[in-house]
Amino acid sequence: MISGFGPGFGLGLRTQHYNDFLAEPQPVEWLEVISDNYMVDGGKPLAMLDQIRANYPMVMHGVSMSIGSINGLDKDYLRKLKKLEQRVEPMWVSDHLCWSGVHGRNLHDLLPLPYTQEALQVVKRNVEQAQEVLQRPLVLENVSSYAEYEQSEMTEWEFLSAVCQATGSKLLLDINNIYVSSFNHDFSPTDFIEGVPVESVTQFHLAGHLDRGDILIDTHDHPVCDAVWDLYRQALLHFGYVPTMIERDDNIPTLPELIAELDVARAIANEVLTGNYQEQNKIALCQGR
Amino acid sequence: MKLAELQNDFQRALFDTECKGADWISESARGLSARDRLDIYYNAYRFRLVDVLLDTFEHTAIYLGDDWFNQLAMDYVQSHPSTYKNIGLYGKNFPGFLAEQLPDDKEVSELALMDWKLRRAFDGPDSAVMTLDDLQQLASEGSEICLQPVPTLTTCTHEFNTLEIWNAIDQDETPPVVTQLPDPVDILIWRKGHSPHFRSLSQIESAAIARVCSRDTLGDTLDNIGAALEKDFPDVDVATEFGLMLHRWLDDEIISTGILN
Repeated sequence: MISGFGPGFGLGLRTQHYNDFLAEPQPVEWLEVISDNYMVDGGKPLAMLDQIRANYPMVMHGVSMSIGSINGLDKDYLRKLKKLEQRVEPMWVSDHLCWSGVHGRNLHDLLPLPYTQEALQVVKRNVEQAQEVLQRPLVLENVSSYAEYEQSEMTEWEFLSAVCQATGSKLLLDINNIYVSSFNHDFSPTDFIEGVPVESVTQFHLAGHLDRGDILIDTHDHPVCDAVWDLYRQALLHFGYVPTMIERDDNIPTLPELIAELDVARAIANEVLTGNYQEQNKIALCQGR
Repeated sequence: MKLAELQNDFQRALFDTECKGADWISESARGLSARDRLDIYYNAYRFRLVDVLLDTFEHTAIYLGDDWFNQLAMDYVQSHPSTYKNIGLYGKNFPGFLAEQLPDDKEVSELALMDWKLRRAFDGPDSAVMTLDDLQQLASEGSEICLQPVPTLTTCTHEFNTLEIWNAIDQDETPPVVTQLPDPVDILIWRKGHSPHFRSLSQIESAAIARVCSRDTLGDTLDNIGAALEKDFPDVDVATEFGLMLHRWLDDEIISTGILN
């Protein structure tokens, strides 16, 4: 097993597993919490958060910042996020590079942005506002998407890179999202991986999706599939060790089942980052390009 | 097309009564049309919000059955664009919507309001709870004792046997036939520990609770509450009744010390 590789391997904290984490130490090095679930006034969510935080490092992952909204960010949301950040003291704070609604309406979805210079300026303005409040770099995740805009002027990875360069923000690469979007929009996932700045990548997400045949839907209700494990190998070869977690939001299995899936990630990282695997596969990758 | 226009159009397309597609979405080699691609987002918006309503109004959904509840939920989603960052708050106006839609089935909106208030109590604000020791300490100091409600305390009024219906559903039993109560009954809802609680109130306890909540979170003094009850319930032994109530309130943890945790 890998040792000495940063924070190790994590899981998304879900209510179904509260008792497991409270009952005894679990073989999970850190936990990711959905920020929005704990931006509440009180009660059990915050009590559980505090008790589990006492024994596990955490990262915060939001779903509602709407960093690409033309209207700018919701100041009340940022204030609540900052309050939670001060409570949790996470290793980092992430959200998605997307938009979720405009003019006071909320679509509760991670909607794709057009990859244009105009959108880049809007995202830059909003990221700077968030980073000013949080007083730390924001970590942005690539989303799965089912639609692309006619107006886009660059690729998704060029846009992500430009955001990082313009704002100092970091990247949460969702390996499953890269795979899903590459299928849906017919691009090479390798181009994506090799197109973002190595030094900006802070975290990996691994998750499952629904294969509808004509399109892949990012459902987070299945185990990680073989194709995504393969892409994870490629990502490890390119970026080296990056803190990795399994993200499951529906059909949530028992904690031992999820830990077994996390052990697969550990084994793959161990295989890729040690021994002769790197040399052999770097050559294979170069030949395959 | 500028970003503002794209986001307006995208949002308008998802709120529309049917998914009509959009010319700003690329047709790709994968074969799915722009309309089919937009349709994924169009449906996801509706399913996500209907799921939230199902989760929030669990007892109401069981009472109505899947088909009827889903139809009402879809109608609500279509007519009520979300204005909430926190998706859990989306159902705020659903009990009122049900009251409008089902004027002859008022127990449904009563059931929904109960589901809603219990859910809000679950993650409502914390506060330190007054104990019997705290009360005795204040009494021994000769202080004027002010009773403040815990911040999750709220009430609702039932004109029907909605409480029995809720309990039957909760116990996975067949709900009783709906009947109108001889007089409306107030229901107390609050959080004790981590769990939302509720119970019905007698008329005198309801009047006393109304006094406790009368100045919002500032509460009212023991003396004021006692005097008001003496006036409103001249035939009742208020001193005894109020003493019993007070003990129960402390056991139920509905009185706050006024200190936030």
